[in-house]
Amino acid sequence: MEFEAVIGLEIHVELNCATKLFCDCPNRPGDEPNLNTCPTCLWYPGAVPRLSRDALEKASLLCLGLGAELQPVSAFDQKVYYYPDLPKGFQLSQAHCPLSRGGGIDIMDETGKPKRLRIHHIHMEEDVARLVHEMEGRLPISLVDFNRAGAPLVEIVTEPDFRSPHDAMEFLKALRTQVRYVGSSECSMENGTMRVDANISIRPRGTDQMNTKVEVKNMNSIRHVGDAIAFEIGRQSAAVKAGEAVVLHTRLWDPDKKATFMMRAKFEGPCVPDPKVPVIELTAEYIEAMRSRLPEMPAARAERFIAQHGLTGEEAVFLSSDPEVAVYFEALIAEGVAPRTAMHWLTTQLIPAIRERGQKPGDTPVTPARFAGLLKMMSKDEINANAAREVMAHLFESDESPEAIVAARGFAQVSDSAELDSLIDKVLEDQPDAVAKVRAGQNKALGFLMGQVMQASGGKANPKIVRELLAKKLGTN
Amino acid sequence: MESIFRYRNPDTAGASGGPLQGVNIAIQPNVSVEGWPTDAGSKALVNFTALEDATIIRRLREAGTAVCGSTRMSEFGFGLDGSRAGEALKENAADVEMVLDLMGESRLAASRASVCGFKPSYGLVSSLGLIGLIPSMECWGLLSADIDRIRRVLDTISGPDPLDFSLPDEPAPDFSARGIKPENTSIGVISEAVSGLSSDSKNAFQASVDELKQAGFSVRELSLPDMALFSLVHNIVGSVEASSCAGRYDSVRYGRRAPGARNWNEMYLLSRGAAFGTLVKSYLFQGAYFQFERYAAYEDACRIRARLVADMRKLFDKADFLIFPAAVGGRFGQAASLAATYEQFAATLFANVTGQPALYLPPAPGSKAAGFQLAGPRRSDARVLALGEYLLNLRQEGNV
Ligand SMILES: [Zn+2]
Repeated sequence: MEFEAVIGLEIHVELNCATKLFCDCPNRPGDEPNLNTCPTCLWYPGAVPRLSRDALEKASLLCLGLGAELQPVSAFDQKVYYYPDLPKGFQLSQAHCPLSRGGGIDIMDETGKPKRLRIHHIHMEEDVARLVHEMEGRLPISLVDFNRAGAPLVEIVTEPDFRSPHDAMEFLKALRTQVRYVGSSECSMENGTMRVDANISIRPRGTDQMNTKVEVKNMNSIRHVGDAIAFEIGRQSAAVKAGEAVVLHTRLWDPDKKATFMMRAKFEGPCVPDPKVPVIELTAEYIEAMRSRLPEMPAARAERFIAQHGLTGEEAVFLSSDPEVAVYFEALIAEGVAPRTAMHWLTTQLIPAIRERGQKPGDTPVTPARFAGLLKMMSKDEINANAAREVMAHLFESDESPEAIVAARGFAQVSDSAELDSLIDKVLEDQPDAVAKVRAGQNKALGFLMGQVMQASGGKANPKIVRELLAKKLGTN
Repeated sequence: MESIFRYRNPDTAGASGGPLQGVNIAIQPNVSVEGWPTDAGSKALVNFTALEDATIIRRLREAGTAVCGSTRMSEFGFGLDGSRAGEALKENAADVEMVLDLMGESRLAASRASVCGFKPSYGLVSSLGLIGLIPSMECWGLLSADIDRIRRVLDTISGPDPLDFSLPDEPAPDFSARGIKPENTSIGVISEAVSGLSSDSKNAFQASVDELKQAGFSVRELSLPDMALFSLVHNIVGSVEASSCAGRYDSVRYGRRAPGARNWNEMYLLSRGAAFGTLVKSYLFQGAYFQFERYAAYEDACRIRARLVADMRKLFDKADFLIFPAAVGGRFGQAASLAATYEQFAATLFANVTGQPALYLPPAPGSKAAGFQLAGPRRSDARVLALGEYLLNLRQEGNV
């Protein structure tokens, strides 16, 4: 019997708000332990939660960015469970009335066909504290760090529309892009700002039954999500073939062993509404205001890049996948750089250079205006491509204009025929063998001579003019 | 005998020149005061000291009151078992007492001390710093022999608090006393609220109603057929909320950790097991049962609650105020079981279910009338207090 997998994802995204969800403490989990705490996020008796407007807005933008429908009424419930990382015994989460319903992401499946993966709902919740396990002499102890307690999270719960590791990975990549676009989170699985649980069940291909699902946690990259799902599909298929029953439980992914392992079940029951957290009522005006703050989303932007700037589909998707890159690209065009030049130099030169230096397109000192200046000098033949790469490196190190760098460091291209004439004559004199080869029709030798001339000019010769002069002198055209 | 105070404040000076200068107020240890022991009467919170002042404490101090200490209370203020509420007034150790009212505790404590006891409208007073048990039912009640003092204290502590988002978006109420004119004021008696009384109690209540008639008020008989459901709704909703919310009283971060556990899970279980008293423990068990095994019953109770609130509101189309007896049955000091506790508060818990204001008025000395409660619609606090004051003045003038 052939099996197919039925997969749904639950994705926790930590919002990049300045403060926590229900208090004004800084939302910086990485600080010195228990530095960012107050009675509210220590969950002390007598403290009251105060919903952050910023968190609500960032969560709202995230929902709209994923095509979800913001609900006019949503509310927080107490999700009861006991664990030392949640010493108040319940987590505030929107169990009954989530912030949004619906939405989804379009991906290409393995065969290249478009496929829509639907979102069931998105809700807000508070993060729990972090446990640190240490040894005190020979006694194992657990310490609790409340910096993360009460950090603003949203949970995106999908429909079970996924059939393969490919679906899950494509969905997560697109989700990450879209959430970064609206500016609500970095969505980094490596840094823990995006955490993914996968619910996986299998059934005979072609049937529509819903079988017992297994939850898999603890993947810390999108790649691992794919690996864990693939492993789990194999494990369940083998179990069913061997006549074993699949039971509802949770498994942890072990990236070193590349396998999932059973984890002890966590007790969870129905949630009770929290009478001390006001119901959230979103007016039509609020929802409209949020919608107007939504940037152009990546799919729409890629389509516009193709139509407006003549990019290929692949180029457009690449440039629009990071909002800062997309904005940078269009800034170059606004400065008068040709779209293809901008695309080429961004993708092959500038972005790798920016990443190498740990900067981002939005905050690099090589602003679009400075970089455009450089590219325009190149297109006006004032410098050649070699020189442009070197000038770019200087742009990172000083705040001089590209024009000033070119002038001060002598990068200006030599296009003066008389000057080049004597250079070429000297090279031809020094390389009689190569000259003979060219005359005998060996074009490779022409390239060698080109290189010699460029070298002799210190890389500054205008290659177009050198090529013309060489051809004339050697009579090859 | 053990002191009526759980904690006595060595430094009672409030701001000088405030409107409540010279008013001595006793609170309970469920009000957060920075540096005071705030165990809310529970072993689960032994050694817990609040990190910040409740909003009401800040307001009381700014108004010039002397907060003289906290009186001993029942565990989390639930019921009156072990509570010394009202005794500070009797012994002239305070002018006003603040007593958490979850099912009528402030009003029954007032009846025990023969003073006035007022439970304000839900959502009138900031709950920042309240260490409570049933968030949707409870609020601080005020006890005093003098209704004007209750009014002035309430005026001081009520109104919007930028630190408590749970308060409804309503302006601060106006407490300037309004004149009560008996000839155009009607008072309703809900027949179902009286039908369960013993014949003695019925006679005593009737004497109170006669007192109103004699004063010139028109008294109307009204009906609320589901009156008996208040207790059921309070019991189910209250216990589920308590069970869920009391998670933070884990007896691990504060309180005492039970020794001898083999792992953290066992340590939590043993510590919580040792921390709570029988009454609260049975309440939490019951709440957990409804939450996890009978959730639909909890949802039904919430729906019935909404209906009861609407039914009660409709009665005020027919009367300006309602009069209720103060106690149906049960005696103090014997309420160890949940059933007995609910029986004891059967006459008062309606106001916690609906969130409406209710005032206990003690009987006139030597009168054969019983103490009773006056209630109005939500946010009619000033008028309920004005009516109570009017009746007390009549007695003083010897007109009743
Ligand atoms: Zn905080």
